[in-house]
Amino acid sequence: MADIVLDRVSKIYPNGVPAVREVSLDIKDGEFMIFLGPSGCGKSTTLRMIAGLESISAGQLSIGGERMNDVDPADRNIAIVFQNYALYPHMSVAGNLGFGLQLRHVPKAEIDRRIKDIATMLGITELLSRKPAQLSGGQRQRVALGRALVRDPKAFLLDEPLSNLDAKLRASMRTELIKLHQKLGTTIVHVTHDQVEAMTMGQRICIMKDGEIVQVGAPMEVYRNPANTFVAGFLASPPMNLVSGRLEHDQAGLAAVAGTARFVLPPALRDGYAAQSGNAVTLGLRPEDFHLSRGNVKLSQAVPVATVATEVLGPEVILVCELGGNGGPEVMVRCPRDFSASPGQPLTLHYDLSQIHLFDKTTGKVLSRPSLI
Amino acid sequence: MIESAHALTLTDRRDRRFGWLMASPSLALLFLVILFPVFWAFYTSLHDYTLISPNFDTFTGSANFIKAAEDGQFRHSLWLTTFFVVAVVLLEFLLGFLVALALNKVERFKAIYYAILLCPLLMNPVIVGLIWRMFLHPNLGIVNYLLSVVGIAPVNWLGSTKIAIWTVIMVDIWHQVSFMIVLLLAGLSALPREPYEAARVDGASPLQCFWRITVPLMRPVIIVTLLIRLIFAVKTYDLIYIMTRGGPGISTDFISYFIYRTAFVSLNIGEASAMSIILLGIILALTVYLYRYMRSLT
Repeated sequence: MADIVLDRVSKIYPNGVPAVREVSLDIKDGEFMIFLGPSGCGKSTTLRMIAGLESISAGQLSIGGERMNDVDPADRNIAIVFQNYALYPHMSVAGNLGFGLQLRHVPKAEIDRRIKDIATMLGITELLSRKPAQLSGGQRQRVALGRALVRDPKAFLLDEPLSNLDAKLRASMRTELIKLHQKLGTTIVHVTHDQVEAMTMGQRICIMKDGEIVQVGAPMEVYRNPANTFVAGFLASPPMNLVSGRLEHDQAGLAAVAGTARFVLPPALRDGYAAQSGNAVTLGLRPEDFHLSRGNVKLSQAVPVATVATEVLGPEVILVCELGGNGGPEVMVRCPRDFSASPGQPLTLHYDLSQIHLFDKTTGKVLSRPSLI
Repeated sequence: MIESAHALTLTDRRDRRFGWLMASPSLALLFLVILFPVFWAFYTSLHDYTLISPNFDTFTGSANFIKAAEDGQFRHSLWLTTFFVVAVVLLEFLLGFLVALALNKVERFKAIYYAILLCPLLMNPVIVGLIWRMFLHPNLGIVNYLLSVVGIAPVNWLGSTKIAIWTVIMVDIWHQVSFMIVLLLAGLSALPREPYEAARVDGASPLQCFWRITVPLMRPVIIVTLLIRLIFAVKTYDLIYIMTRGGPGISTDFISYFIYRTAFVSLNIGEASAMSIILLGIILALTVYLYRYMRSLT
């Protein structure tokens, strides 16, 4: 069992700067957990505390039920893959893979066998005699991964391992890591600032900001129900449009108003939001919830917009437009690949009201609402 | 195509000519103060040239070289110099590496430590020799006084044939160890941090980290530092001239000082030149090795 449990874990540097504040998280055995957040949010520090490379200032860390706060990194039986790979530059690939085993006095024949197995698995057999300097970025990445795998640890900690690779290689390594996790079933904690990695790889995502956990959940859960405007604006590309507005009562019922655009809330939502009537709110509108035609969207709201620009991505077109017409707040809309519009052109879009998110204007927190199907 | 290629070589040739023209004053100066004396010494070493009869009348061929090789005192000086060089380089390296490792962990007041360490290195060897000769004076020196305070009998630092060489070694270490420290510290601080973290997770103890990571990674720096120091140590002259004049007897008669004596005390320039050429050969061999090694690193 390699449950990793963080109980109000904090890291305060000697100069008094808090890097991580009271983080509590339960990473299940065999889970693929992602720490996601912008740089400086404390995600790497948290990972390094799990590895034992940073001391824990307060709180408790346990792995497999055992308290680990003061246990040496070597005795935690975890493996870490660093962003810069941290290979031993003077050792061959085989030397790099076998070093940890040598230190643990594993018999030579066994070390050779394990190196061979891992090298075959990662496709680096022909590189075994080379030095790290003679390898490409992708190959080094594999060796670093191999060095973690060869020890057969309880958990893998990956500190932004894909960020130094080019886009194509990153995509293929992403798939390989997912496959590897399916094959081994070992706990993986993966730190990244790339929301695509987070969405595609993780079973759960832990989103961090300013040393604190903002939200933890399955990728789609976090995507569907962001806890605040930070999460809403961080996940997906393009992210959720966040528009300032207010909740108003009129003859049609309760409506979220942003400039001249009005989103009349469906009856099922009205009761939940009634108490907020008259308050300033932030509207969260996902680019994919706008549609060019009403189609089969049940609860749609026609919204006039004015085209600002279009970004052709190939599989789709991103329409940048002003909500409510000229001079309104700018939003992004996901459109099919055959869509085109010229700047200034007025359009009428249909918004799926069942997907609307409302956040408190001052705190940024989501306003709780009854779930809609 | 052909025309442009031709024009290019013309420009090239003109550039090259201009380059030679610009470099010629310094080349002439180098030839005058370095190459010419070397050739002159080589030419002299092949003749019976003394300061009593300073002429090239008698060509003796390799006789001066054979005489030098058969000279017990010359061989003694060579051996003594080798002993001194090995001793100072090894001791300075061990001490320097130890201090560099310690300083590498220091976070605060690093600049102050550096300043203190660099003080001896900034001093002229003649001054160093003079200061230490005063410190180590058997009756008036502060060293023997301090020893007497704690009840230790005075030591004849520079007057004993057994102790003098170690005294010179000690003073040289005091003077030159900071050179080692500075170079090794620069090497240590340039080492990547990540492999050490990887090693910690891999289960390496601090000692294992040192032997399995620090030493192999520092190898190029260590070798270059050792070789530079070695070449400089072979040439040690000023310290001996000021402190012992090769004495007592011939117990600190290093090669440079012995050659000086042969030339300007025994007045035998021919033989001294032959010895200089032999020494030059040794230093050149070391330098070529150092140069080749540094080239192989890049």
